[in-house]
Amino acid sequence: MPVVKGVSLEVQQGEAVAVIGPNGAGKTTLFKAIAGMLKPRSGKILYQGARIDGIRHCDTVKRGVVYVPAERELFPQMTVLENLELGAYTNYKSRRERLEFVLRLFPRLAERREQMAGTLSGGEQQMVAVGRGLMAKPSILLLDEPSTGLAPLFVSELYRQLSRLKAEGLTILLAEQQVPHALSFSERAYVLENGGIRLFGKSADLLGDPEIQRSYLGMV
Amino acid sequence: MKKDRYLADYVTLLLVAVVLALVPLGVGDSAHYLRIVTLMLIYMAYAVAFNIIFGHTRQLFLCIGALAGSSAYLSVVLATKMFLSPWATIPLGIVFAAFLGGAFSYVSVRRGLGVIFVGVVTLVFSLIFHNLILGLRELTNGETGIETKALGVGVLQSGRGSYYVILAVLMASLVLYHLLMRSRAGTAFRAIADDEFAAELVGIDVTFFKVLAASIGSALLGAVGAIYAYYSGFISPTEYALVSVDIVVLVTLLLGGMGTLLGPVLGGVLFAVLDELVRPLGRLNVLVYGVLMIVLVITFRHGLVAALRKIIKVRIP
Amino acid sequence: MIAILVDGIVQGLQLSLMAVGITLIYGLGGVLNLAHGQFAVVGGIATALFVEAGVNPLVACALGILSAGVFGFVVDRTLLLPAYRSAGEERLLLGLLITLGLSFVVNGFLDYKYPNISLTLKLATPSFSVAGITVRTASAVAAAIAIVAFILLFAFLKGTLLGKVVRSIIQNEVGAGLCGINPGRIRTLIVTLSAMMAGMGGVVQGLFSSLGTEMGNELTSFALIVAVVGGVRSINGTLAAGVLLGIVNAFASYYVGAYLTLIILLGTAVFTILLRPAGLFAYRT
Repeated sequence: MPVVKGVSLEVQQGEAVAVIGPNGAGKTTLFKAIAGMLKPRSGKILYQGARIDGIRHCDTVKRGVVYVPAERELFPQMTVLENLELGAYTNYKSRRERLEFVLRLFPRLAERREQMAGTLSGGEQQMVAVGRGLMAKPSILLLDEPSTGLAPLFVSELYRQLSRLKAEGLTILLAEQQVPHALSFSERAYVLENGGIRLFGKSADLLGDPEIQRSYLGMV
Repeated sequence: MKKDRYLADYVTLLLVAVVLALVPLGVGDSAHYLRIVTLMLIYMAYAVAFNIIFGHTRQLFLCIGALAGSSAYLSVVLATKMFLSPWATIPLGIVFAAFLGGAFSYVSVRRGLGVIFVGVVTLVFSLIFHNLILGLRELTNGETGIETKALGVGVLQSGRGSYYVILAVLMASLVLYHLLMRSRAGTAFRAIADDEFAAELVGIDVTFFKVLAASIGSALLGAVGAIYAYYSGFISPTEYALVSVDIVVLVTLLLGGMGTLLGPVLGGVLFAVLDELVRPLGRLNVLVYGVLMIVLVITFRHGLVAALRKIIKVRIP
Repeated sequence: MIAILVDGIVQGLQLSLMAVGITLIYGLGGVLNLAHGQFAVVGGIATALFVEAGVNPLVACALGILSAGVFGFVVDRTLLLPAYRSAGEERLLLGLLITLGLSFVVNGFLDYKYPNISLTLKLATPSFSVAGITVRTASAVAAAIAIVAFILLFAFLKGTLLGKVVRSIIQNEVGAGLCGINPGRIRTLIVTLSAMMAGMGGVVQGLFSSLGTEMGNELTSFALIVAVVGGVRSINGTLAAGVLLGIVNAFASYYVGAYLTLIILLGTAVFTILLRPAGLFAYRT
């Protein structure tokens, strides 16, 4: 039984697009398919004009499609530095520059660079995960629920940094349960429910939509 | 109408019994061939046991020979050293084997350690068993073994008599298998083999059923192992080694088909034929079995019964 | 007492050398190699054959170890492919059965073709004294080989990019993929390396006493015990477990005798597994 069916979405270069929806809607499945971790049974995934569905996920990274999963998937017994450096595996020689950039973005990580990733707090681990993704020089960054398990303060800081990245031209596709943040951060959004797209449009419009307000923003 | 569901099984059991009962007539006077077909039955019974343990609950016990041997040695040693009758010691051996198998299963299920743990511990147990037999030389006579001829299991002395006794044991084990699989336990086994996690969620006591499968299978191994010791007239550690028992059982089930009633039987026949063909190669037979095992695991994993089911489109049990 | 301890440590190092290969192959390939002991035997017997052919013993050892490596390479590239194509438990079961079959193949072949060959390496000076303690030269050389091998291994794992990549795959295969790392090619390298280390273990066994064709399963069993006790994904754990069990083995053999020692060894192993099921040094998630 397909988890995601009949979904069609599009992201332009430099855009920030959000995919919102309840648990189990299929957001992660969708992202995993784009990243190459799952093979779609039908349909196409086009990236910069070429098809990438069916390519292994380790190969999509080279093309610039970088996925940061909700589970983070860090290397627990390696230092923050080692985790980040491995993120640059596909362009290892030029990792210095990217590293400086990432550490400037997340100064807390610079402080903890020699600490084992497994001993970090949830928020710090999330930063490492995003930072590791950035090290791969992504053309598009797929962030799956980046605010999971983070304290509100961390979430705000995370989105502040994401805005900086967006300003520098990074294309971002975001899956979120934290709807207000996602909608204020992105330009456009899709609402995914039960494996299908229920609504889509400009984020600003969706914020004002009474249905969205009722279902996702807790307003009556 | 419920009886019809198992009609195929009953017919199969009957056919197997009849065909196997007629085999000695085909063999004629040759004691050599009679021994070969009797051994075939023994290995079929081993395979039925392993089928219950691995075929149905995915517990990769790599100590089939050791379990059978534990029972056999316990029985024979008690009979010779304590002058007890084998009729008393064989049940003791069976209980011992069942206990060991159940214990391995229990510990690994409880600890959630899965296939690796079971495989490693049972493999190591095979080694332990072998060394223990060699080490306790005063009791077991080490490599040389003990003669079991004079121990009073008369019925296992004659050629044809032994064959039919062992055939009875095999049929009993097949019937046991059939009854087990049609009971609630059988449904539980199928669920566990399919998806253990889901089975747990649905409320099946996975621990209980896995340990049950392991214990019953091990008890059967103990029974056959002990009987084999008395049948063959002597007992020695090489008869229960990894290369003597485990590999045969694995190849037999891979050939015949795991998780089926007919699998051990068909596999046993095929293996017996193969064994004869390979006999002139002498000690190279282990190599042949290894190669066969690899090839079967990769290409023919589901065995003959599954293949026949596809071709004839009949639900062969 | 000290002599026994030293002996135990040296034996332990040999066990660790074998066990590390199992840990690496499992960590990178998701396959528990039941034919690992056979890699050692292949290395040892190859060395014996070279020596018999008149090759200088040192060179013969190197060639033997290399042979083991080549064998491992071939196995990874051919037999294990079907296992690699599956995932998770299916892969584990497939790997177990294929490597089990392989162990029979190698065992059967060597038993048939070279039933009387065994590797025994005798050194010029059987023993020497250090600080008043008599040390078997064989033990010293074996220890040296093992220690150098481990130092090289750790340097590789901690210091080189490839080594870090290997560690990353062992710690989190999904995460490694997210970095663009393809485990396939690296796996072959590691299997070859592990086979060579097993070959070293075989040569070391030849130094200690002798290595015969029938020892494959025994060596595999020991390596498996050590790997499982140390944590089948932890290299530090494997090293520690090996030395620990080596010491237990040495003391038990001295006081109790060979056969019972095996029981004690297993008892210790089972005890530690029950206490810490994921292994001595396993990372608790």
